[in-house]
Amino acid sequence: MLKKINLAPQIICFLPIVAIIPIGKDIFLDFHSGGINTLYKFFSSALFPSFDYLVIENSINGIKVTLSIAFIGWIISIINGLFLGLICSDIFYKTFNTPKIIHKIIKCLLAIPRGIHELIWGLLLLQVFGLTTWVAILAISIPYSALMARVFADQIDALGTRKIYALKSSGAGSLEALITALMPKLFPIIISHSAYRLECAIRGATLLGVFGLGGIGTELQLSIQSLQFKEVWTSLWILGIVVFTLEEIIKLAQNSFQSSINIRSTSIILCSTLFFLLCFSFTYLKSIDIGLAFNFIPVTLSHKSHFIAALKDLEIIRLSLESINMMLLASGLAIGAPPLICLLLPGEFSRKVISIIWLVLRLVPIPLLAILFLLFINPSISVAALALGIHNMGIMGKILLDTVNNTDDRISLAIKASGGNERVAWLYGKLSPKSIAYLSYSLYRADIILRETAVVGVVGGVGLGWQLQESLTSFAWAEVIIVVSTFVLLTMIGELISEKLKSNLKNDSLSLKAV
Amino acid sequence: MKKLFIRIFKSSGLISLLLLVRLFTNQTHVLSQESLKISAIPDQNPERLNRMYKILANELSKELQVPVKYIPVINYSSAVTSFRTKNLDLVWFGGLTGVQARLQTPGSKALAQRDIDAEFYSVFIANHKSNLPVINDIDELSLLRGKRFTFGSESSTSGRLMPQYYLKQAKVSLSDFQGGRPGFSGSHDATIALVQSGSYEAGALNEQVWEERLASGEINSSKLKVIWRTPPYFDYHWVVQPDLDNRFGEGFTDKLQNFFLNMNKRNSSNQRKILKLFGAKKFIPAYNYQYKEIETIGREIGKIR
Repeated sequence: MLKKINLAPQIICFLPIVAIIPIGKDIFLDFHSGGINTLYKFFSSALFPSFDYLVIENSINGIKVTLSIAFIGWIISIINGLFLGLICSDIFYKTFNTPKIIHKIIKCLLAIPRGIHELIWGLLLLQVFGLTTWVAILAISIPYSALMARVFADQIDALGTRKIYALKSSGAGSLEALITALMPKLFPIIISHSAYRLECAIRGATLLGVFGLGGIGTELQLSIQSLQFKEVWTSLWILGIVVFTLEEIIKLAQNSFQSSINIRSTSIILCSTLFFLLCFSFTYLKSIDIGLAFNFIPVTLSHKSHFIAALKDLEIIRLSLESINMMLLASGLAIGAPPLICLLLPGEFSRKVISIIWLVLRLVPIPLLAILFLLFINPSISVAALALGIHNMGIMGKILLDTVNNTDDRISLAIKASGGNERVAWLYGKLSPKSIAYLSYSLYRADIILRETAVVGVVGGVGLGWQLQESLTSFAWAEVIIVVSTFVLLTMIGELISEKLKSNLKNDSLSLKAV
Repeated sequence: MKKLFIRIFKSSGLISLLLLVRLFTNQTHVLSQESLKISAIPDQNPERLNRMYKILANELSKELQVPVKYIPVINYSSAVTSFRTKNLDLVWFGGLTGVQARLQTPGSKALAQRDIDAEFYSVFIANHKSNLPVINDIDELSLLRGKRFTFGSESSTSGRLMPQYYLKQAKVSLSDFQGGRPGFSGSHDATIALVQSGSYEAGALNEQVWEERLASGEINSSKLKVIWRTPPYFDYHWVVQPDLDNRFGEGFTDKLQNFFLNMNKRNSSNQRKILKLFGAKKFIPAYNYQYKEIETIGREIGKIR
């Protein structure tokens, strides 16, 4: 007998936490106390980081490089994103009467750069161009341009064509009509999405550093590899302070822009600030001369027989399944834990504490978490999933608090007024209206976690991510191409599923079939 | 008030425009001063590498009268790639990475190695709790089947390639370890820490690092022991680009080699310090042919295609 169970989206937010059961079981069984000394050394180093002049100097230079890379990559992607977004929007071809087929082709082509994570772009471009700062900048701006293009195109289309037709029929040219009709409404959306992307870019640039592309991530990873905890903490503290300050500034700036009415003066202020910072970043990267020159020396591409051999050697299906398994466990933790923690710990003060813990979690790189867990847990997929999950929990937690804080207070106040307690008010008044937004972001995050499986080789070479590392260090290009294609394929399947889920969620509930 | 803000931002725009102009006019100046870019695979802690290579860069610059720049790289493969793309001129490679780099950069050659590199060893270590005995015969490596085992970095000669080669000779394949796969700790130090903690029961690493950590008291010998030492092989060496004579003047590559070979003869406290940091008494010449065996093993294991 088939019965339909209707689940409200706010309940679905909590479901992924069941991943804790298999993870918890493995950890419980594999727990030991062998690495307590090293663990103690790690935590005590937090209070006594290295104050060696050379170490501090390297960390500060590192953070400057990371910020410069993030910033330049970000600006490039905003400009590209706006341009491509406009071209991809339905409104564009309707206004300019360009052939629909070109528009469709561009839209499809953009799925490829979007489907490859900045990390994988970084690793691939590194092989083509060598160690130059452009690699990191390109690695960030290629996928981000495509991502922003998609977001902007969706937003532009959501505005509708009525105004443009009205302007055009009263004699305005296509371009003028487009700008006049779109800009005022689009402006706040551009600002808020771009602000969010800047944070992503900084995180991305740090992660790229962990893979050797320079900046604070490189400093961190080198210290982690050799277990120099005092130096690790110097970098972590500097990174923490800078990221925290930046996030606060972005929040402040966003609030002040949202409340200001005069678009012209705000955009002038904004553009000149950005331009100033851009020049500053370029000058900085130039001054330390870490190579802005392009050396295009491509690798010789593999022969057809290599591909056939590689397809035979690589157990793509097994690798994919391992990756997906790890991704599911980690995503469950990352997606399910934040709402649960918020529900269990209501109140202003505990929220503050939680958000600081989340900041720490998203700053500590995944390889470091994995090594730390391995000091007291025997290696298994669960340890890798735990490291991935905990790190991403910091990111999902921030997203949750940010979106929920943007909900207006009326419903939760009403629930409280009618006698509901703090938790109920939060669940139905705050989380409920935003649960779909949270879940749709979760799907995107799960996709990123899939790529991040590349960094947990320390617990044993598992999955596609590790295979990519292994193939790259063997310079086996046929294998690299196959593994990357698999990643793209998985991402596209993931996007299809998430589209489907989203349209289901929009009906305000997800129906699960149960026997 | 708002107008004032706008004015400030407009002027900041102007300043940045000027900066941009300066940026491009500076470019020619920067290009004319070519510097020798040196690097090393990151097999040690970065603070030590930074210290070591800063002194080395200074000394090189003094002896050879060219600007020398140390460029840190994070992993073994990015050192190889940066060498191929000519972002690096002189690199301290491991056995495997050196071969990879020379195969990808035609004409490049091995320049010098340390006295210890001509006979380099890896050690297999085990946690006492693993109950693994000291191994006398290579076939006894099969005792590692079913144990939790970790290598170091994926491209490490002493932390992965040679250990895996000897495991293969004892008919132990990677899927024989517990969990169906070995770990890759990322570095020799991480291997020590993870085997000492007991998370991995055994591991393999560079003997030189092991000896150094043992001497400095960082290893708890009530928890860890060496169970086997590999036969000797060629490991670390300096590799140079083929075109240095064109760029820095006739005979530059030879001068570079002589700098390393005569390091122990010069009466310079800095150069003695460098030798000490490298853990060597002297540098000796290195030749491409010495790494044929590493290349064969690399191809057998699949790290060279």
